[in-house]
Amino acid sequence: MGMSVAFEGDARAAAAVKHAEEQALVRKAQAGDRLAFEELVGRFDREVLRLALNLVHRPEDARDIYQESFLRVYRNLHRFRFECSFYTWLYRIVTNVALDHLRRRTSRREDQAPVPEEAEGGTRDFFDRQPELRPGANPERHLLGQELGAHIATALDKLSPRERMVFEMKHYQGLKLRAIGEMLGTSEETVKNSLFRATRKLRASLDGMR
Amino acid sequence: MQQEQHENMPDGTCSGFEERWTLFTAGELDASEVAEMKSHLVECERCNETLAQENALVALLSSNRVEPDAALLAGCRASLEDALDRAEEHGWLRRAVGALLPVGWISPAPAWSAAVLLLVGFSVGVLGPRFLWHSAATENRQVAGQLAGRAGGTTSEGLVANNPGGGLSTIDLYSAKMAGINVFPSDDNKPPQVELRLNAQQPFTLQGTVNNDDVKSVLMWVLRNSQRFDADTRMNAVELLRARNNDADVRSELCHTVHTDHNAAVRLKALEALDGAEPQDIIQRTLLDALVDDQNPGVRVEAINALRAMAAKGQVESDAHLLAVLRERMHKDPSTYIRLQSAAAIQDLGPRQKF
Repeated sequence: MGMSVAFEGDARAAAAVKHAEEQALVRKAQAGDRLAFEELVGRFDREVLRLALNLVHRPEDARDIYQESFLRVYRNLHRFRFECSFYTWLYRIVTNVALDHLRRRTSRREDQAPVPEEAEGGTRDFFDRQPELRPGANPERHLLGQELGAHIATALDKLSPRERMVFEMKHYQGLKLRAIGEMLGTSEETVKNSLFRATRKLRASLDGMR
Repeated sequence: MQQEQHENMPDGTCSGFEERWTLFTAGELDASEVAEMKSHLVECERCNETLAQENALVALLSSNRVEPDAALLAGCRASLEDALDRAEEHGWLRRAVGALLPVGWISPAPAWSAAVLLLVGFSVGVLGPRFLWHSAATENRQVAGQLAGRAGGTTSEGLVANNPGGGLSTIDLYSAKMAGINVFPSDDNKPPQVELRLNAQQPFTLQGTVNNDDVKSVLMWVLRNSQRFDADTRMNAVELLRARNNDADVRSELCHTVHTDHNAAVRLKALEALDGAEPQDIIQRTLLDALVDDQNPGVRVEAINALRAMAAKGQVESDAHLLAVLRERMHKDPSTYIRLQSAAAIQDLGPRQKF
């Protein structure tokens, strides 16, 4: 019990130090220190890229979201007034960029059905058609994985961009619904409803796959 | 009670519990609610099933998740660094305006802000054209003055050159218009003779090869003032200057043309004219800029071809920026040819890796 309290105290102190360091970095970056900005990027960019990649599933699109997000952060850093954590502010920008991207993609006809095109095998990009050269690659397992991936992609496509974002941020980024609400500029209740809708839709689409 | 709810639902789940299992799985319930749900689980078989399905759904979706690999992350970082460089290059005006008119100052005092902005706009409107006219006139007087100095001219404001009548006349380059460029090929490998005819207050003709510094200066002046001369004139100027592409001034002007001329054919010609010029790092940078920024696919094709030709001769220095640009083109260029050539260039120049 005593050890647990001491451990919690240490963790809290470490978090406070990290927070102070982060604030100092943000202030330096606001003053035009490029290295400080790059250090901030380095602290968060893997998570941002993971979020983007799992939302759009295409490396080139994920790269666009990554770049646009951090450029917006760079251009608007002087507006950050420490009223929330830098992480929350950053994710507000990232989620906005990613939602815009998902909405644009939904409205583009060619992006609505990428899976059958791949299944027919003819019209994918040259680079996508290059064979998988990893020594451990197992064709049968690869095929099953592709089939499962296609089912999941179809199920995810049935979600609205916001539902998809909420599901991703809740289950795979490990964020609390309240934090997600802050990032998306909406109430916790709305986020909760989005999560319920997303779960119901996914359950209906993937029934039988589990 | 829970059993009653259980029996009332057509799908067999407990009323109101379905969503609570979603929150339970998501770790969004507080300790007392978790305890309540767990005690319910002990006596409700169907909720056990619902919870298992909820967990299975999250696990199934987890199986399809992807982790960004190191190469993708490195590529993103390199592209971002380039984008930040470009943003910094173009951002000085925004920063200056931001420093003078911070948002926090404008918001609480809209009337004063509007008055100041009006004043700034008025001042720029009145003084700007005068300043621009003065700058342009000064620049042209400098060119003209250099020419006049070499030709033994008589004033500091004009260019002294041969007129058709054989005498000397003074012209103001600022108001001169190009009447034509005549090129007379020479018999051997010498540069062609050039005749430049300009219309000013008095007609003006300049003759010589591009090795003549006066001819060179006027040709460069044509490229620098691209908006005042038609595309054919600029193409001729580029073609003639090609013979002196190792001259630092000429090289700089050709690079400037690649970056700024509004006509794609002229930009393409300027790229071709840089072939063989040195130092290679400047040429390499210009080729990369054209590859990234030029909207015309023909210019980008010429840029990637030139880059590969330089690489084949061992004249390209491979660095992170170069590879980042090539990777970006490999993935994003609308032209299949450029994507393929970029991939091939990466194989030539980069570390061997899967892409």
